[in-house]
This record gives sequence, structure tokens and C-alpha cells, in this order.
Amino acid sequence: MIKGIEIILFLLLASSDAFPQDIDKTYVCRNGQISFISDAPLELIKASNNKLAGVLNANDRSFSFRVPIKDFEGFNSSLQRVHFNEDYLETELFPYSTFKGKIIEETDLSVPGEYKIRAKGKFSIHGVEIDRIVRCDLIINNKHINVSATFTVFIADHNISVPSILNQKIAKEIKVDVKFTFIPSEQQADN
Amino acid sequence: MKKLISIMIVLLTFFWFALPAQDLDQILGGIDPESTPNFTYGIFKGTTIINGQSVEIPGHNDLRFIVSHRFGAVNTGLYNFFGLDQGTTRLGFEYGIKNYLSLSIGRSTYEKTYDGGIKVKVLRQQTGIKNIPLTMTIYCAGFAETTKWEDPERDNLFSSRLSYAAQVLLARKFTRNLSLQISPSYVHINLVPLLSDQNNILSVGFGGRYKLTPKFSINGEYYYLLPGETANDYANSLSFGVDIETGGHVFQLHFTNSQFMFAPGYIARTEGKWVQGDIFIGFNIYRNFSLGRKS
Repeated sequence: MIKGIEIILFLLLASSDAFPQDIDKTYVCRNGQISFISDAPLELIKASNNKLAGVLNANDRSFSFRVPIKDFEGFNSSLQRVHFNEDYLETELFPYSTFKGKIIEETDLSVPGEYKIRAKGKFSIHGVEIDRIVRCDLIINNKHINVSATFTVFIADHNISVPSILNQKIAKEIKVDVKFTFIPSEQQADN
Repeated sequence: MKKLISIMIVLLTFFWFALPAQDLDQILGGIDPESTPNFTYGIFKGTTIINGQSVEIPGHNDLRFIVSHRFGAVNTGLYNFFGLDQGTTRLGFEYGIKNYLSLSIGRSTYEKTYDGGIKVKVLRQQTGIKNIPLTMTIYCAGFAETTKWEDPERDNLFSSRLSYAAQVLLARKFTRNLSLQISPSYVHINLVPLLSDQNNILSVGFGGRYKLTPKFSINGEYYYLLPGETANDYANSLSFGVDIETGGHVFQLHFTNSQFMFAPGYIARTEGKWVQGDIFIGFNIYRNFSLGRKS
């Protein structure tokens, strides 16, 4: 009888490789940096946010990110920030921008090194979700994964309308920079 | 031993089934608590609703130049081109020293009145860590008319020229589009023509706006004079208008029965009667300059 149970136990342990690794291989980031630049002929607007939060499952390489729009700071005036939240991003209706998907390359994220990967998923801002592939640079250490990426958001893709009178002041393509560090989720729990 | 093993099996199967089901978004929700307050922005577009002050103040280091104009009464007819031949103007500046404190200065054509005021945002409507349902701003201002003395021979005092206003402005943005404000107001006029006239005048203002598009809203404003001599002699100020916003500018166009653009004027000295067509077309134009550019 004991033998039988031991066999079951062994089988369970062997087959449930998801169990111990799932905990090990979930990475989180809480205070990621995200910034954007709108470089229009008549005005340069910059803003940044350090409230980017993300989760990565290193097993199946799936990820999910979230940025609260209201926490973008910078801009050329406080009035501009109000307009950003009120008129363009409509933050009360769409408080977060999200990116959710999977890494295309079958990189083993437990092996230290530098990687260039593509993150594919659903990118949502201003309530409009589109499919995006974002190129990222990963630097994997023993414990951490440093991620940096640059991509462009076309405001027309996300139904953000700018009055024609401001065409010269607000760029149609917004350059976005992202930089953050993933740490294993257990460590996060310890903090 | 047997017991231990069966407990382990139960635990293992539990984790085995429970863990993979854990959603990334669930974890995300756990590590991303609401850590900053959710301030309500843009209760009104302008620092005035129409004639009266709104709870809004210029942002930190923002300078606003305001040109306000009220044409003559519409019922003066074609001869005065429905009032457009006449008019009074106020030029003003407002500056945001902090994001809760601003100063303003201005000069109005009417009785060559200079004004200086201070606005303090005491409460900000917000959700999140704290739940504050409305924004409260206090407005205090002094006003000095500078017309020539009627009788220079008399012993004239500068204090006779002065009047004051204090308002507690309470506003709430109910939806993205609808904001309402209630403004208990106190006006003190140092020198009044008759002994029976009130020096201290109390009034309650009601104002609101409804946004039809992000850049366009309709506004209304009413100041009710509490019963007294002033309420008998003068009219309550009632105004309707629109706000049009284009980046650094706000244009306010309106119809009002009050030709004055400063508190003791529109609260205590409104003479126009809507029913008699005694109304004025007017506009306020705001231009915003950001002085403290962040690099």
C-alpha cells in the first residue's frame, strides 16, 4: 500500500513540474519607468511615469502590464496635463493602458545573458485594443531580468482625436520608452 | 507515515491544480494597489464660470491673461447696434504660486476699478486613498474704484473707495460632463450712497456647466441676493454662456444681465432685467502661459 502511494506521489511530483517552477518563474515589476515624447513641429511634450506594473510567467513566457495614465508627470504646463487626462486620454473612462501577451522567441529565461526578443500581444490605450509586436532588450542576471524597449504609438490607432488647430503642437506618432526590472515574485513577497 | 504521505498528496494535488490556474492579471492586481490619489481634473475650464469665480485656479507657475468684455444692453436697439457700440472691459492676470494657491489682479473700466485677489484650494475632489466628494476654494479680494472725487473740496478718504468680497466656492464634478457649484458669498462695500443701503451683502451663487464635447460646454450662473435693501434695489445676476477651449486658450461667450466682471459689481450692483431685454453680450478670453517649464 505504501509503495503504491509512493508511486503516485512520485508520478505527481514528476508530472507537476509546473508546480515548483511556477512560483520560481513568475517575475514581477512594480515601479517600472515609462516615458513618452510628442515631437511636433511647434511643441515638444515629454512626460513620464514610474507606476508601470507587470508580471511575467517565465514558463510559458506570457506577460501582462499595466500603467495608470493619471500618474504621467512632466508636460509643459499643468494645464497641458489636465488636457491630456481630460480631453485626449479620457482617464476617468480609461484609467489604464495595458499590454498583455507572449514572447514570440522560445528563449529560456532562466539562462543569464542578453537577448533581443519580440513581445507580441494586445496593447490597449484609451480603451482601444490593437495587436502589437514590441522589440525588447533583455538582460538576464541570476535573479533579475532588466527590460528596455522603445516603440511608437500612433494616436489615430487609438481613437485619440486632436483638433486640427493643434496638429502642429501634438505629434501623430508618440515615442514611448520603457525601462524596468523584473524580480522573482517570491522576493517581492518578502519585501 | 501513511498519514503524512496522504496529506502531502492532498496538498500537492491542491497546488498542482490551483497554481497554474492563477491568472497573471490576478497577480498584477495584487502588486499594483491604488497608491496615488485619483484627483478630479477640470471641474470647470475657466477660473470663472461666467462672471463669478469657479473653484479652478491656474496651475503651478501658470500665468493667465484674461480679457473680459461686456457690450452694452441689447435692448438699446439698432442705434447702438444692440449694445456693441458700448462696452466695458476688464483686463486681468492670474498666477498660480502653488497648485493650491493663486493671486489675481485686474482693472475694470467700470468706475476704473482695480482689484486684487487670492484663491486657495482647500479641498480637492478625489477618490482612491481618500474620498473627498467635492472641491472647495476660498476666494478673497479687495476692490478700489478710482474715479475722480465728485467734490474734491470735501475731506475724501481712500477707504471710501474700497469694497471687499469673500466667497466659499464648493463644486463637484458629478460626471465627466456635469459640474455644479454653490458659492456662498459675502460682499462689503465701505461707502454706500444712502444710510438705508447695506454695507454688508450676502448672496448665494449657483453655477454649473455641461460639456457637450471635450472642448465645448454650456454654462449657467445665478447669484441670489439674500433679502435686504440691496435685493430690493438691484437684480439677481443671471447668465448663460458657452466655453470653447483650444489648447492654451479658453473662450467664454455669454449673455448676462450684469455688466460687471468683479464680485461687488455682479453680486450687489446688477441692474439689468432679463424680462426687459436688459441683457449684455460678453466674452472672457483666457490665455495661459506656463512660466516654470520643466526640463
